[in-house]
Amino acid sequence: MRFDTLSDLKNYKNEISQKQDKGKEIWICGGPGCVANGSMAIAEEFIKALGNKSSSDENTSLWHSIKVLIRPEEKETEKLIRTGITGCMGPCENGPVVHVEPDGLYYQKVTVDDIEGIIGSIKENIPYKAKAMSGLDDKPAEVPSAENIPFLAKQKKIILGKMSTMSPLDLEDYIAHGGYSGLIRALESMAPEEICNEIKASGLRGRGGGGFPTGVKWESCRNSASEMRYVLVNGDEGDPGAFMDRALMEGDPYSVIEGLTIGAYAIGSSEGIIYVRHEYPLAVKRLANAIKNLEEAGLLGTNILGTGFDFHVEICEGGGSFVCGESTALMTSIEGKPGVPRVKYIRSTERGLWESPTVLNNVETWANVPHIITNGSEWFRSIGTENNSGTKVFALVGKVKNTGLVEVPMGTTLRQIIYDIGGGVAQKRPFKAVQTGGPSGGCLPASMLDTPVDFDSLTEAGSMMGSGGMIVMDDRTCMVDIARYFIDFLVEESCGKCVPCREGLKKMQMILHDLTNGKGREGDTKALEDLAEDISDTSLCALGQSAANPVLSTIKYFKEEYIEHEKEHFCRSGVCQGMFRIKIDEEKCKSCGLCSKNCPADTIEKLDSGKYCIKQEGCIRCGACFEVCPFSSVDIVNEVIDDD
Amino acid sequence: MIEITINDIPLKVEKGTTILHAAQANGIDIPTLCNHEGLTLDGNCRLCSVEIEDMGNKKIVASCMFPITRNISVETETERVRRARNTVLQLLVNRNPKAPIIQQLCAKYGVDREERFALEPDLCIRCGRCVRACEAGGTKAIELVGRGFDRHVAPPYELETDACIGCLSCATVCPTGKITYEETPGKRKIWYKEFDVLQCKRCGIYFATKEMLDWAGRPENDRDHCNHCQKYIESVKFLTESQKK
Ligand SMILES: Cc1cc2nc3c(=O)[nH]c(=O)nc-3n(C[C@H](O)[C@H](O)[C@H](O)COP(=O)(O)O)c2cc1C
Ligand code: SF4
Ligand code: SF4
Ligand code: SF4
Ligand code: SF4
Ligand code: FES
Ligand code: FES
Repeated sequence: MRFDTLSDLKNYKNEISQKQDKGKEIWICGGPGCVANGSMAIAEEFIKALGNKSSSDENTSLWHSIKVLIRPEEKETEKLIRTGITGCMGPCENGPVVHVEPDGLYYQKVTVDDIEGIIGSIKENIPYKAKAMSGLDDKPAEVPSAENIPFLAKQKKIILGKMSTMSPLDLEDYIAHGGYSGLIRALESMAPEEICNEIKASGLRGRGGGGFPTGVKWESCRNSASEMRYVLVNGDEGDPGAFMDRALMEGDPYSVIEGLTIGAYAIGSSEGIIYVRHEYPLAVKRLANAIKNLEEAGLLGTNILGTGFDFHVEICEGGGSFVCGESTALMTSIEGKPGVPRVKYIRSTERGLWESPTVLNNVETWANVPHIITNGSEWFRSIGTENNSGTKVFALVGKVKNTGLVEVPMGTTLRQIIYDIGGGVAQKRPFKAVQTGGPSGGCLPASMLDTPVDFDSLTEAGSMMGSGGMIVMDDRTCMVDIARYFIDFLVEESCGKCVPCREGLKKMQMILHDLTNGKGREGDTKALEDLAEDISDTSLCALGQSAANPVLSTIKYFKEEYIEHEKEHFCRSGVCQGMFRIKIDEEKCKSCGLCSKNCPADTIEKLDSGKYCIKQEGCIRCGACFEVCPFSSVDIVNEVIDDD
Repeated sequence: MIEITINDIPLKVEKGTTILHAAQANGIDIPTLCNHEGLTLDGNCRLCSVEIEDMGNKKIVASCMFPITRNISVETETERVRRARNTVLQLLVNRNPKAPIIQQLCAKYGVDREERFALEPDLCIRCGRCVRACEAGGTKAIELVGRGFDRHVAPPYELETDACIGCLSCATVCPTGKITYEETPGKRKIWYKEFDVLQCKRCGIYFATKEMLDWAGRPENDRDHCNHCQKYIESVKFLTESQKK
């Protein structure tokens, strides 16, 4: 496959779109969650069951085709059937996931034992009930297609759209699913300035966290006089728990590179670098494979599609520290120096990598570009809200029923994401808070659940969009302890260059450790607030400038917990060791005995009254009884309060 | 020329001048630590923080780094600046209580060490002046290693390094006295490495390590005299020769 001119590629696209019967496809999720749950073995077995020998090395990621008999309405037709591995399909909690096309059916928690059944159901052209993904009311859907599965139905998958139905290795697949329409349109009918204007008009804002208007950035770089300009992909993704960018790079690497190519053409660059953290070896492999295929196909390299446009892409494996995601640190790291931020009073679009004008965008930002150029800025603006157009991908994790990768239009509320898509808090426990924005973000309480998810609303609420981590927390989460967790993380990840971040976060950590160890002192909460303000005022880079957000947002919404930790040395969530005791309220106890059955220390005894009571000497304060009691008769009380 | 104000005093400055230089040229005092005129800028101590108003936005910036490119107004003594400065000093004195420069600045700005947050005393404030001085000489023998709180200055792998020529530039620019060295007649020890120091055959001072002269490319047959005596000998030679003519 090689395209020397624009018409070569257009003709090829025409040919595939006219191909009528595409046969059946069995897609096995090869995302990180499903692989961990054994999806690769399932893929192997599918291949074997269909009568093919799996080939060596990359076999599980390659696809093959064989013929089987299919029976629509008693008529036997010969059809092609293809098995393939995709990137993450989204519903990771319920993996391994198998997706059958063109029927669009989703099966969850598939095991090797289901293979025969799934193949049989394809032959019969009916859904395979046993592992159908859940519809409403948590029952397996009659027809498990996306529109009947709440987790999928409420999403709008543009960026993730192709990911459940194509092989991330296969350039043909990408092109067959609409890939490279954007580059064709750009090269064929748009001047570079027009592309910058189109991106500006689309209202696309950086998905890496800051929400800076992408088109404005491109234009400013384009207008900086220089021989050399660079386009960079930020694939550092250092937020704990986040995996959106990883999923994209592993599951749809071509879309990121197509976006990058369009960007390079728009700003007048011939060199692109994809910076990926080295903990993502599969992303590196998939991207490298994509680059190789694109070079062979003539979609990267010199004189692309005969237009005279040259563009080369390289991968740079980052050291993998959180701060390397910061723009100046990332560039310093690419230059071969330790990834430490630089003072940035001159924009990277004027003086960036190797002192040349540079555009750095997040993985997801780049992946939006082909869609905007293909469908136009007006289409893009029709999705999302006024100042926040398009969709956003989130990694929904924590104490939520359906964890996974979700994509929603900007402006969707937190409640819709957590309840309609996520299915609510796991184990039906009370919701306490949702953390967005990673270590630079914040925690929002139940009263803020109707906040629309967009850059401005989240910032206003005291959190941040960040790159798309969303961690749901239940009532067994201590907010002071959460703040401690993030500050511990940042103390580890601070580069240590500037005084406020290096020494200030350490001081903050000392206060938070005192608070969570029952050594809080009067005034600590106020001291944290003051210190937070000073650190954000004076730190050199955005890591330090935003580091206090987890502390400030938890103080803002959960001040009473801080005060309890500070003054009473009490942790109401039953998390901070030595700062609480578990007690059964005799009045409320309904004598069901569930607590006693679940107590790992066997320290709950039945009183003569039939009620249950905890023998405190043996209690290890695990909270199991608190969590299982169906009548909320178990309380978390202050350690030092005497029994009455 | 760009018109700005510092503490309401109108000034005209060359485009690209840093706020610190503009202030210094006009007798306005801004404390600094990591900044050193002979070295590249780094902006890491944040002690030189000032508050600027730039197109309606008020913010704290590091004056040693901030280039003046627009009409801005600068304030060096607002409440916000005082807090920023005192926080920096507070954090430093908690860890570096024995560094004379920190003691002096804390006395000047009224900052005391906090017992609760007192860390194991260390002299190094991680300003990196030593590293930049060594780099400026072209030797690059030491670097800032480790991340976050553990960041510190060391030669590669914390071992004696061939790159070090024993020039003492690092120790000379260190504001805190962290970098120590031993000097005995004919011997010098710094960064785990021992050097022979050559003695001037004329005046008798110990003037340079062998490695410094190697680095400078001074030929083996021309290492008998210190710079001063070298010059003296040359001028005597010159005078005698011109008298002969
Ligand atoms: C400490 C820190 C870590 C960051 N990590 C990332 C990251 O992992 N990925 C990312 O895209 N942006 C990250 N950013 C934001 C980048 O600095 C930069 O703003 C972004 O890559 C620009 O791209 P965008 O406009 O497309 O969002 C980080 C910023 C900071 C301060
Ligand atoms: S704010 Fe933190 S991460 Fe950024 S330069 Fe300073 S020490 Fe390094
Ligand atoms: S907290 Fe845990 S150990 Fe204590 S009584 Fe309850 S279940 Fe038993
Ligand atoms: S003494 Fe060694 S480490 Fe110090 S500046 Fe000279 S060469 Fe560098
Ligand atoms: S040794 Fe001295 S010059 Fe070097 S970083 Fe420490 S305080 Fe600064
Ligand atoms: S990894 Fe399979 S659905 Fe996410
Ligand atoms: S003197 Fe300006 S930051 Fe150190």
